[in-house]
Amino acid sequence: MKPRFLTGLLSLLMPAMVLAGEYDLTVDRVKIDTGDFVKEGIGYNGASPGPVMRFKEGENVRINVTNNLDEMTSIHWHGLILPFNQDGVPGISFPGIKPGETFTYEFPIQQAGTYWFHSHSGFQEPDGAYGAIVIEPEGREPFRYDREYVVQLTDKHPHSGDRIMRNLKMMPDYYNREQQTVGEFFSDVSENGLMNTVRDRMAWGDMRMMKADVEDLQGFTGLINGKGPEQNWTGLFEPGERIRLRFINSSAMTYFDIRIPGLDMTVVQADGNNVQPVNVDEFRIGVAETYDVIVHPKDEQAYTIFAESMGRSGYARATLAPEEGMEAAVPQLRDPARLTMADMSGMPGMDHGNMAGMDHGDMDMNSSEGMSGMDHSNMEGMDHGSMAMGKGGQSDPFYAKGSGLVPTAANGGKFLSYADLKAQDPLYEDREPTREIELRLTGNMERYTWSINGVKYEDADPIRLKYGERVRFKFVNETMMTHPMHLHGMWSILDVGADQWNPIKHTVSVQPGTTVYMETEVDAPGQWAFHCHLSYHAAAGMFRKVIVEGGPESTQAKTDVIAKDGGEV
Amino acid sequence: MSCIRSIVAVSFLASIGVSTAVTAQEMISDTTARKQPLTTWGVQFEEFEYRYSDDDEELGVWNADAFYGTDDFKVRLLTTGEYEIEEQAYETLENQLVGQIPISKFFDAKAGVRFDTPEGPDRTYAVLGVAGLAPQWFEIDANLYVSKDGDTSAELDAEYELLFTNYWILSATLDATVAFSEDEEIGVGKGLVSTETGLRLSYDLIDRAFSPYVGVVHERKYGDTADLAKAEGGGTEDWFAVIGARIAF
Amino acid sequence: MNTSKFVVAGLALSMSAGAFAAGAHGGGHGASSGEPAKASEAARTITVEMYDNYYEPEAIEVKPGETVRFVVENKGNLVHEFNIGTPDMHEAHQKEMMMMVEHGVIQGGKLNHDMMNMDMGNGHSMKHDDPNSVLLEPGQSKEVVWKFSDKGNIEFACNVPGHYQAGMYGEVNFE
Repeated sequence: MKPRFLTGLLSLLMPAMVLAGEYDLTVDRVKIDTGDFVKEGIGYNGASPGPVMRFKEGENVRINVTNNLDEMTSIHWHGLILPFNQDGVPGISFPGIKPGETFTYEFPIQQAGTYWFHSHSGFQEPDGAYGAIVIEPEGREPFRYDREYVVQLTDKHPHSGDRIMRNLKMMPDYYNREQQTVGEFFSDVSENGLMNTVRDRMAWGDMRMMKADVEDLQGFTGLINGKGPEQNWTGLFEPGERIRLRFINSSAMTYFDIRIPGLDMTVVQADGNNVQPVNVDEFRIGVAETYDVIVHPKDEQAYTIFAESMGRSGYARATLAPEEGMEAAVPQLRDPARLTMADMSGMPGMDHGNMAGMDHGDMDMNSSEGMSGMDHSNMEGMDHGSMAMGKGGQSDPFYAKGSGLVPTAANGGKFLSYADLKAQDPLYEDREPTREIELRLTGNMERYTWSINGVKYEDADPIRLKYGERVRFKFVNETMMTHPMHLHGMWSILDVGADQWNPIKHTVSVQPGTTVYMETEVDAPGQWAFHCHLSYHAAAGMFRKVIVEGGPESTQAKTDVIAKDGGEV
Repeated sequence: MSCIRSIVAVSFLASIGVSTAVTAQEMISDTTARKQPLTTWGVQFEEFEYRYSDDDEELGVWNADAFYGTDDFKVRLLTTGEYEIEEQAYETLENQLVGQIPISKFFDAKAGVRFDTPEGPDRTYAVLGVAGLAPQWFEIDANLYVSKDGDTSAELDAEYELLFTNYWILSATLDATVAFSEDEEIGVGKGLVSTETGLRLSYDLIDRAFSPYVGVVHERKYGDTADLAKAEGGGTEDWFAVIGARIAF
Repeated sequence: MNTSKFVVAGLALSMSAGAFAAGAHGGGHGASSGEPAKASEAARTITVEMYDNYYEPEAIEVKPGETVRFVVENKGNLVHEFNIGTPDMHEAHQKEMMMMVEHGVIQGGKLNHDMMNMDMGNGHSMKHDDPNSVLLEPGQSKEVVWKFSDKGNIEFACNVPGHYQAGMYGEVNFE
């Protein structure tokens, strides 16, 4: 009686939206001013980022997208559950939107939360074609807040996406300005001794791997809601209010470590799905992920939202303040992260030289032995100093044991781990998976090739799933980079060891040298994209098409036709 | 209340309508650029410099390559020249056109032709080579040349970069040529022919696109080749001060 | 219908009250929240339902000195607490609750009772037996009888880590 009335009341407030929401988006050439540089880019309705699309759970939306570019475009609704031909991936969902054409997307909104949208054509997304989606739930939110802000991050680069891809292909370290220098050699010598340092450099040189390969693409300006650090996007609040911040990482390549000095953050949602609240001091947001946090500033003062890139090569900054113009201190960037041998442990066929004693089996996240199972005797060259574990920092089961990437909170407090994420209200019954599919994340940094199971998209067959099955995906990261894997159209149930409380995501980060499992209830017929969301990794081939066979009958028939004429090879 | 319920029902029906439309939709095959091999290109001047020798010789020198292609196959044009400024003549002018394919994780094989058209007699060679990254970060380019007349020679290029900072870079290069037969006409004797060693300190001024440098280069001829040079009245060893820029675009 | 209106009004009230309280009285607490009482002394019963992660209602009105019998029902899927106190008291209690999670006493949707009653060695246990609060597993229902002492900044709150911050609290407004 009571809840029904409340729902009714809310519906009455927005009668038009319950029926069908009609929205218009134009895709335009825009100017993007980061404060550091001004750059031609692509945006929506004349701006980058585009507008915040506000939908209501249960409504049917019609979105008219007009392409004002002189090239093909598309919009992918990242994280939305919808019919596959509305998913907006050219070549997989639909042919794309031609210049001058208006394409009307139409789909029911069956979920609530924070999501985003972006072009899935070429490098339009890194060039600025992205925006936020906020979906209000049918019922009440299971938390309380007085106001909310979208905090959408990106890593705007002065170079166009095409140029970046070409430069990376020409010189994979083109944008890496955190490489080890002569100076670092001597500081390592004074810390670890000459021979240890020489052995360490020789071990990495032997692999032809760089400890500094944390960020492929440096030299960007971090933007929050389109504003650079100097332009300082500011969200206003009254002291004592609770504020919901909807963080969205729309970067092409950059993971951000986010903190608000002076404020605790309570994570209440990840990738649009509510999670059991976790109080944290800092969290890492992978590319394409979203996290909703609630903060409760009590004092009449400004607070800095500080988002340092994972490799510490850049940052985004914004402010929460009681009044426009108020500012708080902006922290210094911390030292750049360095990979360790543990991060390399996923690499097969690597010439480990004198490291043959290393037991790779012990290195995945389910290991209880970890580094203790490793034969250290021949590895004095390893830089123990930079091992997070060795320093007594916190460990995170989603990083290789001894990884140099394990994040720690700047104030020594709690840093969010995937292991902390538990579904607030599980979407699916927990059940045994019907089968497991192993996906090795592979690549060659020196050639800037990226692939899955050693095969680039151009050479790959689609992954075929059966409607109704529950597939367990096993990601084995054999590269030294972090890959945010994004399956379109169906949820990724991340295995954090919490069984029925495992969180439901759309993007799952897989750290170097780790194995991560996720399960998917195959409940969406059609064909879908499945890829690393780092723009230049996806473009280089870390991408797959997934075909869901079966389901509603007519879809099944189409799949058979395609399978027969071999059009999908 | 009943009014609200009917609105919900309408939207529910509408959503069913949408999903029916989906199933009728043709599934397409991916013919986008994403499904095609990624084609890239690049142009790099590893050296583009002015050289001034210890006996007042002035040279304009370049060493550049341009490529076009995919991960699996690239076409590469390599060009090297030394222009004697005072005499207005090319001391060396080599152009290679090769096809390049990956043969291991870090190495490519190359095959093609090389045309030498300096002042004096021209030469055409078949080229077979490997290029890539050796352990400990040595950039290696090793080539075997066979001339139309059957003269064979081999050339090894190695480069190592030392990062003083991420912008100040010292690069050390070694280029050595060995001939397996004599080609007296162009002054090449059998055995170790010549070496060129260089040290260049560069600063990345604009990305990695424009990096001015200064440096020293040492050129030396050996054995029979040195004898041939001496007989011609030339020197066998030169020290150069160089100033120039590494360029990539 | 009346109840619904009350909820909406309470919600609106709670927002402004919360902002006002924190803004105006920031730091000036010290008032005790009241004292336990017997059910027979209560003139009124208020049912508080727990969901994941909020209460219904989210605000109540009491008279200074009034004794109220709370019937607290956990209708969610997670363990929740109902605890009457000032924001400072809640904050202090959250540290204890964090310990209960770290020691596996509170495990998402259930309580580990063995662990709860275990002697911690220093005479303490992780029993949750303060009279101003109850800790409920999903489906459980318990009573708290409380005599509110005075006007003050009093909230009922769930101090399971994160829940309070996410908004699982309700204002006690004095008439």
